[in-house]
Amino acid sequence: MGDDTYMLNVIAYDDEANPTGASNAVRKLIDRDGVKFILGFCCSGATGAVASFIGNEDAVMLVGNAAERSITTRGISNLTRTRPPADYTGAAAGTFVADKGHKRVAVLGALDVGFYASYVDAFEKELNAAGGEIITREAFGLKDRDMTPQLTKIREQNPDAILVVGYVEPAAFIYRQAVELGIDVPRYGFTSGSEEQFLRVASSEQMEGVWDLRPTELTLLSATETGIAYHANYSARFGIAPSPSSPYAYDQTYALKHAIEAAGTVEDTAAVAAALRELPVPPEVVMQYLPVDGKMFDVNGQAYTSNGAFQWQDGNWVFVQDLPSDAAAYSAFLSTLD
Amino acid sequence: MTLKPTHALWLAALVSFALLPQFIAVKYYLHLSILALIWVIAAQGQNLIQGYTGYVSIVQAGFIGIGAYSTALMGLHYDLPVWLTILLAPVVTAVFALGIGYPSLRVKGHYFAIVTLAFNLVIFIVLMNWHTLTQGEAGITGIPKPGSPDGWFNWRDRETYYYFVLIVAALMTGLAALITRSRIGQVLIAIRQNEDLVGAIGISAWKYKLFAFVTSAMFAGLAGAIYAHYQSFINPEIFGVAQSLDAILAVIIGGSGTIAGPVIGAFFVVFLPEYLRFADSFRLIIYGLVLVLATIFMPRGIVGVATSFSDWFMRRRR
Repeated sequence: MGDDTYMLNVIAYDDEANPTGASNAVRKLIDRDGVKFILGFCCSGATGAVASFIGNEDAVMLVGNAAERSITTRGISNLTRTRPPADYTGAAAGTFVADKGHKRVAVLGALDVGFYASYVDAFEKELNAAGGEIITREAFGLKDRDMTPQLTKIREQNPDAILVVGYVEPAAFIYRQAVELGIDVPRYGFTSGSEEQFLRVASSEQMEGVWDLRPTELTLLSATETGIAYHANYSARFGIAPSPSSPYAYDQTYALKHAIEAAGTVEDTAAVAAALRELPVPPEVVMQYLPVDGKMFDVNGQAYTSNGAFQWQDGNWVFVQDLPSDAAAYSAFLSTLD
Repeated sequence: MTLKPTHALWLAALVSFALLPQFIAVKYYLHLSILALIWVIAAQGQNLIQGYTGYVSIVQAGFIGIGAYSTALMGLHYDLPVWLTILLAPVVTAVFALGIGYPSLRVKGHYFAIVTLAFNLVIFIVLMNWHTLTQGEAGITGIPKPGSPDGWFNWRDRETYYYFVLIVAALMTGLAALITRSRIGQVLIAIRQNEDLVGAIGISAWKYKLFAFVTSAMFAGLAGAIYAHYQSFINPEIFGVAQSLDAILAVIIGGSGTIAGPVIGAFFVVFLPEYLRFADSFRLIIYGLVLVLATIFMPRGIVGVATSFSDWFMRRRR
């Protein structure tokens, strides 16, 4: 920065996906280690706990993929988030499914998780606006593997389509068991699972035609050249493909770098936080962001990635099209919440 | 008038706790101390039912949750003053404890433990799924601190909150000591040792057990209320069975059936996992191992070991 060169000193603690654990870890980072920039945060509960006090701290918090909507509705000036809330994607998915002409959709999901429930709520709103309806909401848990009771009930209700939202493994069982039960309607989902994850449970034939309606994240078929290079470099260095969460952290780092440069300080966290809000999308980021008013983060500190419709074709997820995502409209809606 | 050695020790401990913030340079440790003192309150309650009455209850975290949510919801929905909601939270928890305790205490031993475990699961599920009331997994944020911004004390300052929690923890420890030294406490100890005999001499044991259970829950409810206003955020994850097991461990590790035990045990269950952060993913394994070894080799807890050592030392001096 200017004539000065800084080396990043990374200190990492486990937030234990627990509110108290996360608070303790962040207190330790700020109070003991003197950390000023905190990146990460993947779980909504833990993130919510830290967000409740970070506004009073001399630090900047960059949230990755914790998706609970309220995290960016509290007007916390030193907090930004790269992953959009689930209902932003759910609304786009609802419009997409309605455009396909489906009127009666059955939902089977991990509905006790707020993240997935808010996806379905937004999906339903758009579906209703197009004259469609959700005819039933059936739930499953993280450890559930036999979904035939729910699917049998759904089959009796003759839906036009099924929407599956939740963790990858149970979703894979649902797709497989739907075929085994002879349910022959389009299957839509929101799981973000990889081919390898689904093929551990279901065959490619059983998966054929399934849609996944989700943020494009780091999907090679929809990625920019930077994203493809990131994927190749990450795979070469670590021997595995990058997880869907990793680009959020990667992009945060470059957003922070540019904000520090723009603010011209590494000490004044308020100036860096303000610079983040004014930042255009940095060229190094690997995901496709939809800027609002030309900025990566909107007034709420929220960034928006594009959403995509992916379909399973011959053993692979194939990017078919962008979902109709209106970042500016969602940003305006987010600003109305408190 | 002479000061008994145990009283002198308590006085020394209290003075040490009072001076602690002056020696803590890093506020993170003050934060952990506040959490530990909150756990002292909950663990003293757990000790009443587990340590003195001999009934292992696995619902203490559920009661902490009821206390935390009741103070937050009363404040948010009815605009009641924070001090009032903190005082009402144990009462609300007591009402729930009465409902839970009456059927639970009809069974003994392992069955009682399992029934209370089931109630903790029910409380957790309700907190997680009753979105309109509890906001589910997202939790309740913006829970206010006590006092007004232009009041005498700055409640955002952790030192102020530390002294507040210290006073409450000391009072609740004193209350627990009074209960255990009263006739009620003697009956509770008798129930632990031989419940049938207690019944045989004409004492209605169930009334005393229910008293211990409800009082234990009130301690937990108060701890939950103080926790909620300290963190300004609550969600159901911290009120699950794992945290109830922590309350049990705090009593066992510190010294079951002693007043000092829960104080020591509470600091143990808060500080040890934090000190083990360096071990990364092995942390929980080490934590579990330490607890298993401590339970096997120190069945009377740290207080028991300290007492044995003190007795041995006194014998040698003679």
